Amino acid sequence: MESRIIKPALGVYVALFVLFLYGPFVVLTIISFQQGPDGGPQFPIIEWSTYWYRQIFGLTPPSRVAPLPFGEALIRSLVLALMTMVVSTVLGVMSAQAFRRNFKGSAVVFYLIVLGMMVPGVLTGLGTSLLANNIIGIERHWYTTAFATHVAYTFPFAFLVMLAILNRFDSSVEEAAWSLGVDPWTTFRKVTFPLIFPGVLSAMLFAFTLSLDEFPRTLFASGRDQTLPLAIYGTFSVEIHPNIFAFGVLTTLFSFALLSVYGILMAMSVRRAKKMAMQEDIA
Amino acid sequence: MTSTVTIQDRQSKVTRWLLIPGIVWMSLFLVVPIAMIVYVSFWTQTTFNISSDPTLASWKQFFTSDTYTGSLWTTIRIWLIVLATTFIVGYPTALFVGLFVKSKTLSTVLLVICVIPFWTSFLIRVLAWRPMLGKEGAINIVLMKLGIIQQPIEVLLFTELSVIIGMTQIYCVFMVGPIAFMLSRIDRNIIEAARDLGAGFGRIFWKIIFPLSLPGVVVGAIFVSVMVLGEFATSGALSGRKVNLLGNIIVTQVGSLKWAMASVVGVVLTVVMGIVIAGFLRIVDLKREL
Repeated sequence: MESRIIKPALGVYVALFVLFLYGPFVVLTIISFQQGPDGGPQFPIIEWSTYWYRQIFGLTPPSRVAPLPFGEALIRSLVLALMTMVVSTVLGVMSAQAFRRNFKGSAVVFYLIVLGMMVPGVLTGLGTSLLANNIIGIERHWYTTAFATHVAYTFPFAFLVMLAILNRFDSSVEEAAWSLGVDPWTTFRKVTFPLIFPGVLSAMLFAFTLSLDEFPRTLFASGRDQTLPLAIYGTFSVEIHPNIFAFGVLTTLFSFALLSVYGILMAMSVRRAKKMAMQEDIA
Repeated sequence: MTSTVTIQDRQSKVTRWLLIPGIVWMSLFLVVPIAMIVYVSFWTQTTFNISSDPTLASWKQFFTSDTYTGSLWTTIRIWLIVLATTFIVGYPTALFVGLFVKSKTLSTVLLVICVIPFWTSFLIRVLAWRPMLGKEGAINIVLMKLGIIQQPIEVLLFTELSVIIGMTQIYCVFMVGPIAFMLSRIDRNIIEAARDLGAGFGRIFWKIIFPLSLPGVVVGAIFVSVMVLGEFATSGALSGRKVNLLGNIIVTQVGSLKWAMASVVGVVLTVVMGIVIAGFLRIVDLKREL
């Protein structure tokens, strides 16, 4: 009886929740089609246009509003995210692999790694730049100090994902390989890695997206050359134009594309695993 | 006998080499930097320079200045409010997704819907609240069209309220996820049994559902706390510099090269964070629950 009242009520609540979650994005999308270059980032829409999108791709004549200085920053962010992704995933797989065996001090090491996602970015960024600036005396760059903080942030995520995967891992296949005299490295490469590959993909996706959008750590640790979030932050202090919203819509579409690639790779690896299992059945 | 010992030896050697890179990285780029903040907070700051002569000057300055202590209280107040609002907004949603939705596909779809906003850059998501809350913003336009208000509400933007609204929207999903996860693991037979014995929904909720979802609440609260306590972008963008959190102070201090003061604020933030997380972990033993 009660669930007949409570369930619909909750359903309505969830609908409102989704509205709350998406409201800003809807508004952002609407305003990105504001008339340019005179239309501001607010209502009402003077006239619908794709001006701000064309401006991002450099298709509009120069105007009062300067185009967003995002080109190089975007490339830097992508390179940084790729570097971070590779290093954190490798570290994550290695550490999680080590955690399959009990060892002394495992709790300490576990918390040391997980600490990376617990400490606010503003603190890691501050500490790293203090270290670089005042102790070692090196210049800060996005590919050195900022890179170090990015990995310290994303490695715990990769580690936890891999830990979850390896916890459910059936190690009898590895033991079979060892008992046939295959050395541990080849076993890992030929047996373990293909089996944990979906997990590795998830860890990579985590690390890449977290690094791409990472802001507080980068703010202090990246020095002169800006990454994308820093460039966006730079537009905060100056006047805001609808081009930033158009850019937001485009990056969201880019994320969708990235996630689709991830989905396709995932489906392919699942299908291949199934196919292999079937071949084994036939054999 | 000897051969098993050597195998074990070799395996623990492998374990060691697998762990060393991660341990070294986290020590160098996480533990040492935090230690650095503590160390530098005792350095001597002059107008444009800093030297390693130990002094308590910056600490004294922090605790005697209303701006700094005020920002500590603002941070704690905003953190508590956002913790409450994300919980209020998130729990019923989690309840629906984790417990009431029977079909696995629908609950997955709902969770994906919750995650999609994260594919937009964090800073742009914050910025999107401006045309939403402003005097001529979407909320005022809708409310006026509906005839609910005659005059636009002006307190929506560039106030503490706008910071709270923005943070609630950005962080509430971190509450929904863990709670929904814990709720979905509840054995439905327990609820059925309670119902058969004549318990009403309220009783079932308080005696069974809520206690069992508590670990999820704690995990969500830790996520939200970590992010809100270290915040400065949302408060900077939506409060018109009226709300200064500890994070904002750190950013301004670093901007004017006052490293010692930034470090003092950093240590204060670390201590607050440590107390908060330790407190949450005391409520629920996470290692046992997971």
